[in-house]
Amino acid sequence: MKRRAQPWLGTLVEVTLADALYETAAASAFDAAFGAIAEVHRLMSFHDAASDVSRINQMAVDSVLQVDGHTAAVLRAALDMSTATGGLFNIACASKLVQWDYLPGAGVDANTDAGRPTLHVDEAGNVRKLAPVLIDLGGIAKGYAVDVAIAALQRQGVAAACVNAGGDLRAFGESPFPVMVRDPRSPGQIACQIDLDNAAMATSGSYFSQKTVRGQLRSALVHGIDGSALVDSVSATVLAPDCMTADALTKLVLLSNDPRHPLLQRFGATAFII
Amino acid sequence: MKPINMTVLALAAGAASNAFGTQYLTVEQAQQAMFPDASGFKDASLQLSAEQMKQVEKLSGLPARSVAWRVFAAYKGDTQLGYMVLDDVVGKFELISYAVAVNPDASIKQIEILTYRESHGFEIKSPAWRKQFVGKTAAAGLAIGDGIASISGATLSCTHVTDGVRRIAAIAQVALKK
Repeated sequence: MKRRAQPWLGTLVEVTLADALYETAAASAFDAAFGAIAEVHRLMSFHDAASDVSRINQMAVDSVLQVDGHTAAVLRAALDMSTATGGLFNIACASKLVQWDYLPGAGVDANTDAGRPTLHVDEAGNVRKLAPVLIDLGGIAKGYAVDVAIAALQRQGVAAACVNAGGDLRAFGESPFPVMVRDPRSPGQIACQIDLDNAAMATSGSYFSQKTVRGQLRSALVHGIDGSALVDSVSATVLAPDCMTADALTKLVLLSNDPRHPLLQRFGATAFII
Repeated sequence: MKPINMTVLALAAGAASNAFGTQYLTVEQAQQAMFPDASGFKDASLQLSAEQMKQVEKLSGLPARSVAWRVFAAYKGDTQLGYMVLDDVVGKFELISYAVAVNPDASIKQIEILTYRESHGFEIKSPAWRKQFVGKTAAAGLAIGDGIASISGATLSCTHVTDGVRRIAAIAQVALKK
């Protein structure tokens, strides 16, 4: 068992290799996995002015911009998820996160109008901005990064591994990987343990991000329709075939407070709330 | 490649490790991971002058925090490949030791977490979790880290590490750049 961790995507990303690899093979596998994560970070960071996300945030309404294939894939998945959830999952809430000091100011006037479409992405990765919004892919890009890191490890011939990006995980291999889920009311304790068997899981909760901003309790989890902050001491965990889906669906489960939401089945997912 | 029985490996590793965290790399392993071509490492620890401290604060926008910094210089023969700077950060929930590899031009090459620990201890309450270790004496020194399990939960921000890296980038500009 070899394990490494690096800071990416605003959190710690951990890669565990369960193969008995020689040092050089393990080093190549770690390089491939972290390289894939770094690429997603570079493309989708809200903080980096050169990222696709920042370029979209800076562009004028009605203009068009070509983005990387990875970014286009995540944007399409995010827009599909937004449609499927009636706007509960919404990447266009970043102006709230800027107001509450979770994200730095982007120098752009924006709103969080959930009622209308915000972006259109075509097959070639051309993004058209339809409304004056700031987007943040923090609710879906970590899961996608885990998926591309897993794919990179598989291309390297690794037989068993787990990638964990701040609580969003995916594992493959003959033996399941044990994963402990924090108790949201006492995050230093473990509420339950799950064996992750060739699948992905993600947990969302506001217990680490809650803070008082100008007298109001806020968190980094924004309700996609009414723009309120989720400040309940609960967490939602979703198991799904891929981690991007698991990551995005945690927001649906948390905001709908429904671990048996009918949409879960469509994505091959199951969920629980603690 | 043959799959390995993870429980056996985990217990073997766990016997020698800390109960509340994960050690990813030792300092020596981090040196090898960050400078795989290096033939040797020399202690190049820094004592910043008052003037250098001021410059670091100006460049990074953060308090320089410490005069003394643990640094290794990486060499391949006589050629210097860069530096590795060690640091620890204490967050509200976590204690993290990490290493930053710096190129000779002071740009950041790589960041590796060495150890992660929960700052308020860490308890395992679930009977289901404990059950898997019943009858295994090696579990007496049960380690959570070192390969037994991963943790899922709300995303813990790594702002402290990000700030720490920004500070080290400034130190490299001020005191290590060739």
